[in-house]
Amino acid sequence: MTSDTFAPRVGLITADRAPLTAARHWREGIDPGPIVAALAHVPELLDAALPFIGQALRGSIADPRTAELVIVRASALLGCSYCTLTHGAIALDADVTPDELRALCARGAVAGGGSHDEREVALLAWVDEVAAGHGDVPDGVARDLAAHVDDALLVELTAMVGCTIFLNRFCTTLRLPASETTLARLAASGIQPEELAA
Amino acid sequence: MTRIMLERVREAIEQGLIGSRLWFYANYHCNLACAYCLTESAPDVAQRALEPDLMVELAEEGRAIGFTSIGVTGGEPFLVPQMPELLLRLSSVLPVVVLSNGTLFTGKRLERMRPLGERDVRVQISLDRSEAVANDEMRGPENFRKVLEAIPKLVALGIGVRIASTLVWVDEDDMAKLCGLHRSLGVPDEEHVVRGVVRRGRALTEGLGEPAGIAELGPELTISADGAFWSPFGPTVVGGLVDTDLLVTRAISPLSMPAETLAGLVTGSGYSGPIDDRFT
Repeated sequence: MTSDTFAPRVGLITADRAPLTAARHWREGIDPGPIVAALAHVPELLDAALPFIGQALRGSIADPRTAELVIVRASALLGCSYCTLTHGAIALDADVTPDELRALCARGAVAGGGSHDEREVALLAWVDEVAAGHGDVPDGVARDLAAHVDDALLVELTAMVGCTIFLNRFCTTLRLPASETTLARLAASGIQPEELAA
Repeated sequence: MTRIMLERVREAIEQGLIGSRLWFYANYHCNLACAYCLTESAPDVAQRALEPDLMVELAEEGRAIGFTSIGVTGGEPFLVPQMPELLLRLSSVLPVVVLSNGTLFTGKRLERMRPLGERDVRVQISLDRSEAVANDEMRGPENFRKVLEAIPKLVALGIGVRIASTLVWVDEDDMAKLCGLHRSLGVPDEEHVVRGVVRRGRALTEGLGEPAGIAELGPELTISADGAFWSPFGPTVVGGLVDTDLLVTRAISPLSMPAETLAGLVTGSGYSGPIDDRFT
């Protein structure tokens, strides 16, 4: 464990120290990223968590833009620099514009009437309540989203927010660093990291 | 854990794909600081000891799964205060071999070893060279003398003694003398184990021995305070940090969890057994 201000709070496992069941994530010189490198300290946790994380964040029903709106907004609300930046870069490849990205990461509710249609406005208001609210989601907010999604998608979106919150707290607490590739992708769209993450 | 999964472990043990001995790292601290130590054990390192009750519980589970013997190593296991009594309990579950530097068998501790003479317990003591100077150079001052004093006392109690010689290289003349020595101490040839230095732990730092990973080491489920490992050569320490390249699971209880994961690695990864018997 390190105590440096900006350093990760745990050593990140490298290829030569990868536990037996985790070693496949480093095959052929692949860098699996800091979440895998941290979880690999407990290989059985990595084995259990990774399939869930992959499925929960990818989704089966939600389209990529919807998924990234949910993940980036929740991550911004939770103040997770790693997830906001990493999924900010992914969102750009899922047809989220740089201005939409900046608005998702700003304080306050995302306004309707702009690039977001009625469904996305309802979705983002619902994400705000699920990720940052206290207790039950207000009936009005839930009803507005239910007008646009069926039960299966609602389950998927709820799991998506829940999994994002888990990762937000995991990555923030352990101070996991965003990759150079992520920062380069954002810079290529004219976005500086401080515009998205404090 | 399903019956089918546990059967897979049992079959892997019966087929020799997984070693039939279940290993415990009783602790990590030691009264010596040998040059080739796998675990950087020394008097001032953290003990990281397994609870004796847990070891007995895991031994019982191990027997139910299909393991046929117990190995206890460390650190120096006999620095664990209740080790003689723990060995008595473990030996009521399965036959036991305990690895020791042989320097602590005096006074009350030796007397507490007496009941083990009637049990299937063997003490494997390290002795590397036939002469004190050469032996103690690697293992520390007075080691040779203490070992030579301890072995006849254990033999006299009826306790089986094995001698393990860890050699950087084999000197034929010295080996002949070493064999003469162990015979004179009451230890027959079949209880003399000669093995190479594994380049892990302090041996890695010192540049000694041969590299050893999954390809060279046979799978023998090994439980330590840091988790379950592929081999007793797995939970090595470099720079105070436990190596994780041979880590199977952090979970050690129930034993079925690491045992099943190890069986999965052995039977599902194309692993076909050790290709090098230097370290077994």
